[in-house]
Amino acid sequence: MKIVNSTHAIVKEHPVTTLEQTSARAEGRKDPWSQLLEKVGKSQDRQAYHALFEHFGPQIKYYAMANGLASHAEELVQEVFVSIWRRSCLYDWRKAAASTWIFTIARNQRIDMLRKMRRTSVEMAVETDDLWQIPGDNEDEPVTSLHRLMSERRIRESLKHLPEEQTTVIAKVYMENKSHQRVANELNIPLGTVKSRVRLALNKLKVILQDQNV
Amino acid sequence: MTQHHPDSLKLMEYSAGNLSDPHALCIRLHLDQCSHCRSRVDMLDSLGAVMMEQQSQVSVSNSMFDSILARIDESADEPFSPSVPNSASPLQKLLGEDLNKLPWKRQLGDASVYDITDQFPGQNEQVVLQKLTAGGKAPSHTHRGEETTIVLQGAFTDNKGVFNQWDFVTLDSQDNHKPVALPGDDCITLSVLSAPVKLTGTFTRLLNPFIR
Repeated sequence: MKIVNSTHAIVKEHPVTTLEQTSARAEGRKDPWSQLLEKVGKSQDRQAYHALFEHFGPQIKYYAMANGLASHAEELVQEVFVSIWRRSCLYDWRKAAASTWIFTIARNQRIDMLRKMRRTSVEMAVETDDLWQIPGDNEDEPVTSLHRLMSERRIRESLKHLPEEQTTVIAKVYMENKSHQRVANELNIPLGTVKSRVRLALNKLKVILQDQNV
Repeated sequence: MTQHHPDSLKLMEYSAGNLSDPHALCIRLHLDQCSHCRSRVDMLDSLGAVMMEQQSQVSVSNSMFDSILARIDESADEPFSPSVPNSASPLQKLLGEDLNKLPWKRQLGDASVYDITDQFPGQNEQVVLQKLTAGGKAPSHTHRGEETTIVLQGAFTDNKGVFNQWDFVTLDSQDNHKPVALPGDDCITLSVLSAPVKLTGTFTRLLNPFIR
């Protein structure tokens, strides 16, 4: 109940989404960004699209700057947002929260951009989206909405309680796109230490817990 | 149901988009068949999203938004067709329908290889398909670097267990690896090697004339 209430608190801050408040209980768990993204997908709502741009645009720009694409940061933001617009009809809030879906698009556009910069004369038979899937692209995937939406919320909460040395390592992997080996070199610590910090963090974030259910 | 999965650290590097194309391909092929790892990647993707929102903010201009709108209006008459990019499995795109009909090169005894490194330009890794005839043995070998393997067809066994279709295996220089294909189908694997394989045992002399 507590979680539902806090969602509504966020929803209230956003004028576009207040009408949705009375919807079914499951709908109440939808975060405001996912509601906005749905509006873009269903009715090409440009006001909703602009709200997404104001929220995620700076994040994506920072993402580009952090991983060495500083001179192409605005270009990446544009590519990601054009892609968001074109793919929004595929977005299904039950398969991923908007922020997760947008993260995977930003990641793929970054990979794509680096690929194009390095492109040799040989064309590759597989595209970036063939190798790195966007959640919801696979239509056969069964819907497991609450589990996924809860997991994002839980990760956000647990992350606050991780020791700084663990979040630093994770940030370097996700934001600076460094391999575990490069993170070790940069922090001047053994590779084993980097790996154990990541494992500890993933354990606390309950990502690893699932290993035991195999 | 697959029994051997990539570890969480590998999946994290996949989710972050830090793997090379051949390594990402191995993970993607495994994910297609393994709901357990798909749900772990979902969580890791959410971790990525949360990391992205934690970072210090920079600003974006309204003129940037205007140029995005201009681009959308420009391409409004070419609608996105979502079925196209993922209609075929990446494996089919690379290798066609029938793995058994590839131009396999017979190696020793029961083993054949087909090198597809050329299909991944600009990568430092060797990418090979290996085939062991059903019930056949591969020459014993160790690895100088790391080898990532996914089983595409059939099954094999070695001192670490039985590996079935879509199982994921990582081997390093510690492993002296002596795979045997199970009876039934020929066993076909896709491997990404960070350094060439080193043969051990009696076959070495046959293969390497300089040692003889």
